[in-house]
Amino acid sequence: MYYLGFLVRRLLQGALIVLLVAMLIFTLMRVVPGDPVRLMVGGMAPDSVVQQASERLGLNAPIPVQFGRYLIRLAHGDMGESFVRPVNGSAVGGSTYDDPSRAERAAVLDLVAQTLPMTLQLASVAFIFALLIGVPLGIAGGLHPGRWPDKLAFYAGSLFVSMPNFWLGIVLTIVLSVQLGWIPSIGYQGFVYTILPAIVLAVEMAPFIIRTLTVSMAQVMSEPFIDAGTVRGISRGQMIWRHAFRNASVPLLNVFGIQLSGLLGGVLIVEFIFDYPGLGLLTVNAVLQRDFPLIQGIAVITSSIFVLINIIVDLAAAAIDPRLETV
Amino acid sequence: MSNTMTTPIGKLYGPSLPAPDARRYSSVPRRILNRAWTSWEFRIGVAFLMGVLALTVLYPAFSDIDPGKAAVSMRFKPPIPFEGSNWAHPLGTDQLGRDTLVRSLIGLRYSLMIGIGTVVLMFIVGCALGLVAGFRGGRLGSIIMRLADAQLSIPMIILAITVLGVSRPTIPAIVLVLALSGWPLYARVARSAALAESKREAVRGARILGASDWRIMLLMVAPAVLPPIAFVSVLDIARMMIFEATLGFLGLGVQPPTPSFGNIIADGRKYLINAWWIATMPGAFLLISLTSINLIGSALERARNAVLKGN
Repeated sequence: MYYLGFLVRRLLQGALIVLLVAMLIFTLMRVVPGDPVRLMVGGMAPDSVVQQASERLGLNAPIPVQFGRYLIRLAHGDMGESFVRPVNGSAVGGSTYDDPSRAERAAVLDLVAQTLPMTLQLASVAFIFALLIGVPLGIAGGLHPGRWPDKLAFYAGSLFVSMPNFWLGIVLTIVLSVQLGWIPSIGYQGFVYTILPAIVLAVEMAPFIIRTLTVSMAQVMSEPFIDAGTVRGISRGQMIWRHAFRNASVPLLNVFGIQLSGLLGGVLIVEFIFDYPGLGLLTVNAVLQRDFPLIQGIAVITSSIFVLINIIVDLAAAAIDPRLETV
Repeated sequence: MSNTMTTPIGKLYGPSLPAPDARRYSSVPRRILNRAWTSWEFRIGVAFLMGVLALTVLYPAFSDIDPGKAAVSMRFKPPIPFEGSNWAHPLGTDQLGRDTLVRSLIGLRYSLMIGIGTVVLMFIVGCALGLVAGFRGGRLGSIIMRLADAQLSIPMIILAITVLGVSRPTIPAIVLVLALSGWPLYARVARSAALAESKREAVRGARILGASDWRIMLLMVAPAVLPPIAFVSVLDIARMMIFEATLGFLGLGVQPPTPSFGNIIADGRKYLINAWWIATMPGAFLLISLTSINLIGSALERARNAVLKGN
C-alpha cells in the first residue's frame, strides 16, 4: 500500500516531466531558424512544392495547435514519421524532389524500436566492464583509507574522469584495431563490435563507481556493527561482501540515477565515433538532419526511460536497505 | 647560571597549557586550502597545471608560428621523436601544415575560458536561486526546487545538441547551454546549506535587531555558505571543458578556423592511419590539463569535507 502511493505519485511527477520535455523540444524546434521542409523535399524543389509539403505536414498551423495535435497522436501511440528517413533505410541525400525512395517514410517508433536494443546491449556490456574496473578499486580503496589502495583508486578515478571519450575511442582504435588488429571497431557486424565502444563507455562510468564506493565503503567499515560482526566470529571476507558491500552499494545506486543523464551523453558520442547503429547515432543524425518528429520522439522516449529508471533505482535502494524511506 | 637564561618560560613554570590552536581562528577557506596543500595529489595537480598554463601563455607569444597559417610543404610532419620531425613543430603539423602544439595551446585557452565562464555563471545562478529557496522557503522556494528536479531528469545532452545544432553555436550560446545543465546541483547544495545556516542563533539575533531578509542573506548566510561550494566547483570546470570538447567534436562547439580541442580532434580523425598525431596529441594535452584540474578539485573536495566535519 505504501509502495503503491509512492509509485503513483512518482509516475505522475514523471509524466509531468516528460510533458515538459516534449513541450520544450517542440517549441525549440519551431522557433529556431532552418526550414526542415526544404531539406525534406530537396533543395531544388520549387516553392509551391515546399508550401504544399508543409501544409500536408501541418507545419503552417500555430505552434500550440501543432503541439496539441502532437499530444493527441502521442496518446494514441503514434509518434509520427521521420521527415527524412525512408522505410527501406537507404541514405538520405540528392536534391531532386520526386525521388521515389522518399515516398514512404519510416515511423519514429519503428526507428527507435530498431535501435534501442542495440544501445541497451552496449550499455549493459559497458556497465559490466565498469563494475569490473570500479568495484575492486573502490572496495580496496575503502578498506584502506589513506593507504596505497586508496591512493591508487583516487589517481585512477581522476585519470579516467579526465579522459575525453571521443579521444579514448580514437586512441583505442589506433592501438587495438589498426596496430594490433585484435578487435574490430567501426560499424556493427556481430557482438565483437560491442567490445571497444563498451570499454570506452566503461572508462567513463568507472570513476563514479570508484569514488562513491571508496567513500561509502570506508564509512560503512567504521560502523560499530562491523566490529560486532567480527566479535561474533564472522570472517572478514564474509563481513566485507555480505554486510559492508551491501550497505555501501546503496549510495552507488543513487549516484547511478543521477549520472544517467551524463551517461546518455557518453552513449551518444561513443556510438557516433564507432558508427554503432544504436539510439545515440540515430539521435546525432536526427539533430544534424533537423528531423523534427524523430528528435521529439527520441526526447519523449528517453526522458520516459530516465523517469522510470530513477523510480526503479529508488525502489531498489529501498529493497536493499529497508531503513530508507521511499519519499 | 647561563642555562636558566635560555630556558623557555614554559619549562620554568612546569608543563605549559596547550598553545591556543592558531588554525581554529583562521577562516574556513583558509583551513581548507591549508589542508589541501598537505596532500600530494593537490601539489602534483598544481604543479602540472602551472606548467600547462605557463606554456599556454608563453609559447604562442615566443614562437613566431601563426596558428592559422597553412604551409603545404610542412604538411603531416610527425611529432618530435619520430622520423622526419623537427624542433620548429615539436608536436608535428596537421593536414594543412599548421602547428599542432600552437593550435592545442590556443584550443586550451578557449576551453579554459568557456569552462571557467560556465562554472562562474552556473555558480552564481544556482547559488542565488538556492539561497533564496533555502532562506525564504515558501512557495517561491518550492517552485525553484521543483524546477531544479525537473531539469535534472531532462537528458541535457539531447537538449544541448538540439539547441546548438539548429542555431549557430557561438561562445555565449555554448556557455549558456552548458550552464543550464549544471545549475540545479548548485541550487540544491546552496539551499540545504542556507537552511542550516539560517537556523543559527546569530541570524535570529540579527533579525531581532531589525536586519532585513536581504541583508541577512547577503551579509551573513551567503559568506558562510558559498566558499565551501566554490571549492567543489573546481571539479565542474573540468567537466564543462570535456562537455565543450565533446560538442566541438560533433561540430557544435567553437567553429573553425578558431581551433578548439573538439574540432582539431574531429579533423584529425580523418587522417588516423597516416597521421595519428593530429588527433591524439591535442587530446593528450587536454588529458593532462583535465587530470591536473581534477586532482586539484578532488583534493579540495576532500579537504573541504574534512574541515566541515570539524577535524
